[in-house]
Amino acid sequence: MTNDQIQMTNQQARVEAERCLQCFDAPCVQACPTHIQIPTFISMIKSGNIRGAAEVVKTSNAMANVCGKICPEEVYCQSVCNRANEDTPIQIRELHFYATQSEARKKFSQVKPFPKSGKQVAVIGGGPTGIGCAFELAKLGREVTLFDRKVLGGVPKNSIPSFRLTENELQDDLKFLSTYFSVKKEEITDVKFSQLKNKFDAIYLGVGLGKDRPLGLKGENLSGVYPVLKFLEAAKVKQKKMSVGKKVVVVGGGNVSLDAAATAKRLGAFEVILIYRRSEAEMKVWKSELEEARKQGVEIRFMTNPLEIVGTKKVSGIKCRRTTLSKKKDESGRPIPVEVKGSDFILEADTVIIAIGQSIASDIVNRFKRNSKGFIAVDKNYQTSMKSVFAGGDAISGEGTIVQSVAHGKQAAHAIHKILAGKK
Amino acid sequence: MKKSKVVSENIYSEIPIYPQRDLSYDFLGLHWENPFILAAAPSTDELDIVRRGLQMGWAGAILKTTSIEGNIVDLAYPMMSTFNHDGKKLFGMGNIDLISEHHIDKVEYNVRKLKKEFPEKIIAASIMAGRKEDWQRLVERLEKAGVDFIECSFSCPQGNIGEDPGKMLAQSISATELTAKWVKEAARRVPVSIKITPHVTDIVDVAKAVKRSGADALTAANSLQALMGVDIKTFVPYPQLNGKSTYSGMTGPAIKPLTLRTISEIARNVDIPILGTGGASTWSDAVEFMAVGAGVVQYCTAVMHYGFRIIDDLKSGMSHYLDEMKFKSVKDIYRKALPHIATHDELPRRKIRSHINEATCIQCEACYLACRDGGHMAIDRNPNRIPKVDWERCVGCGLCEHVCPVDGCIEMKVFK
Repeated sequence: MTNDQIQMTNQQARVEAERCLQCFDAPCVQACPTHIQIPTFISMIKSGNIRGAAEVVKTSNAMANVCGKICPEEVYCQSVCNRANEDTPIQIRELHFYATQSEARKKFSQVKPFPKSGKQVAVIGGGPTGIGCAFELAKLGREVTLFDRKVLGGVPKNSIPSFRLTENELQDDLKFLSTYFSVKKEEITDVKFSQLKNKFDAIYLGVGLGKDRPLGLKGENLSGVYPVLKFLEAAKVKQKKMSVGKKVVVVGGGNVSLDAAATAKRLGAFEVILIYRRSEAEMKVWKSELEEARKQGVEIRFMTNPLEIVGTKKVSGIKCRRTTLSKKKDESGRPIPVEVKGSDFILEADTVIIAIGQSIASDIVNRFKRNSKGFIAVDKNYQTSMKSVFAGGDAISGEGTIVQSVAHGKQAAHAIHKILAGKK
Repeated sequence: MKKSKVVSENIYSEIPIYPQRDLSYDFLGLHWENPFILAAAPSTDELDIVRRGLQMGWAGAILKTTSIEGNIVDLAYPMMSTFNHDGKKLFGMGNIDLISEHHIDKVEYNVRKLKKEFPEKIIAASIMAGRKEDWQRLVERLEKAGVDFIECSFSCPQGNIGEDPGKMLAQSISATELTAKWVKEAARRVPVSIKITPHVTDIVDVAKAVKRSGADALTAANSLQALMGVDIKTFVPYPQLNGKSTYSGMTGPAIKPLTLRTISEIARNVDIPILGTGGASTWSDAVEFMAVGAGVVQYCTAVMHYGFRIIDDLKSGMSHYLDEMKFKSVKDIYRKALPHIATHDELPRRKIRSHINEATCIQCEACYLACRDGGHMAIDRNPNRIPKVDWERCVGCGLCEHVCPVDGCIEMKVFK
């Protein structure tokens, strides 16, 4: 959903809510990583109990407004909606957003006082997973201090384009949540981590990724070449003042690259080309993001591999080679692209954006055992190789969804709570 | 259709973060946790089922109507049928169920068991008999078992096991008064409520008879006798039992307006506590029932359709409603609508005209058509499809407002 789409009216919400079949043990609840009681909140919209509906959503998902706006429903709740067997799935995310926004426009419901069960937990990282964990721990009565080098918000704050999520929508969540734990603006370096380790009974790492993976090609240092996170962050700060020139090439194929391409187009680029080395079928993107990029006029060149970024001082283009898909598959199960000899060509570009993935920026990550993909390895309780230190979100699974990160935080909070309860 | 597989994760129970508002109050000499109680029906017939309902937050249950041992309950299946309307299923539900197959011995046992497990909940029982001794025996045995109140079914419309088959007890004023007296005589400790039928010429006369009998309350009203529909190919009405059918008792949203009228008419004329039942499915329905004079509201069809879980929305919706209205207790709703009900000749006569909001009009011209063919030909068409009301011809009947698909687009305003 982008800001162009208007939020449901009361009447639209009611009519849509009436379509819900109210399944027992509903598959949508199972499919939602935070297990929002979807039929319950929809029945509340139907009966006119909008505040109750928002409460049901927020009881399960702390980042209620953010997820209501940008959660990729087609991979979660709506993908399993039984109504789709009759006609079309219920617009669950839209109804969720309608409920939380309706509440946010009034006064937030009074939350009952949380119990006090002692013990102190440090959460490192103020993104969705850190916030999700901190709020759940607060609900369980633990005292939480959340550390972030900047301000609360993480990926939604820093790099999700404002045409997808407005600052106000994010603030609606943060305003509600931030009163339940203390927030410290402090970068947790390797040295500081040791101090925290002594001071707190448990630590949750929600450090996210934050470091752009380089292409490793010639010309990457030319002016006008941006790693994607830097580009998206700058675009959010500078807004329309940012200049990208007439022609932009984005190297990527994931959701973040689509965000970058659509952003470049909105910043006034005449032509935005996204190059991807495989075909559309292999793209790991959400339909809504792809549609949005195409609606903005982004051109996608499939089967195209970058070879070199060309230019003197400033970028002038990118040299590419066509690919073909081999029968062999890589570990992700997708066919491996093979370059086609003699198919080289140059795409002119004033700006080149590299969006081929991210790795963990935080240096404390070196203390922990990693999995094969380089992310922090955790057990089923989200505990890392270090006792009493837990981790979740993108730092354990790579670029994921907001709702997945919140769910990690929530589940880890319960594991932390249980372990702390056993400690004297 | 191919679906992605849902993997059930290890789900922990959510921690409630919002306080539950106290919805409790006193009525009929009893303390009610909230105004939502389970009506005598299949949902209150089996111990395991009632138990689940009470655990989920219902204030109490009226166990399905029972009778003296030896009474034969001759059920016929299928017993359920529905009235579907405009694509909505179960707008009305019909049943040809009878009273419980459990006799008083089993119900006594259930009452004892439930009262022990749920001492704070209201455990009531519904009874039906023919002879005086049987009515009184049922009351005495239930009192002894520890029941909180007794409801007497004078009005089961779908079959009758009384002495006058085909006629409901509550259709006779003298029989109602006499039988209610027997029941009240036998009840030493607990209140009794007489469940009446709306199928009478004057509901007030019946209510007055109940009042005269000394009974503590009445339950208004029961299901409505209905023929649920006819199969237009075979001409066998529903439900179909091998080529035969019979009249059903209809319940559900379709009968709510009829029940509201029954309750308000009694409340306006007779000073007697009323337990409301028949057509309530949401928290706002309960508000309406209470506003016209019901002390508590019984639910049945909505539970049979959506399960006991509807109690979550009933309680949450009622709490937020009370907050919004700045009401201290659900009792503040009680009888609030009654002063606004008048006879037709008492109604104010004002000059009213229809106003169409051009900004929200969606140009469907439904109002134009309705007024042309069913009103006063007072709406004119326009090239831009936004209808215009001719205030000379408009009398302010309000039909257009109700056929308009957009909330609040057409309003009736005083004409100056």
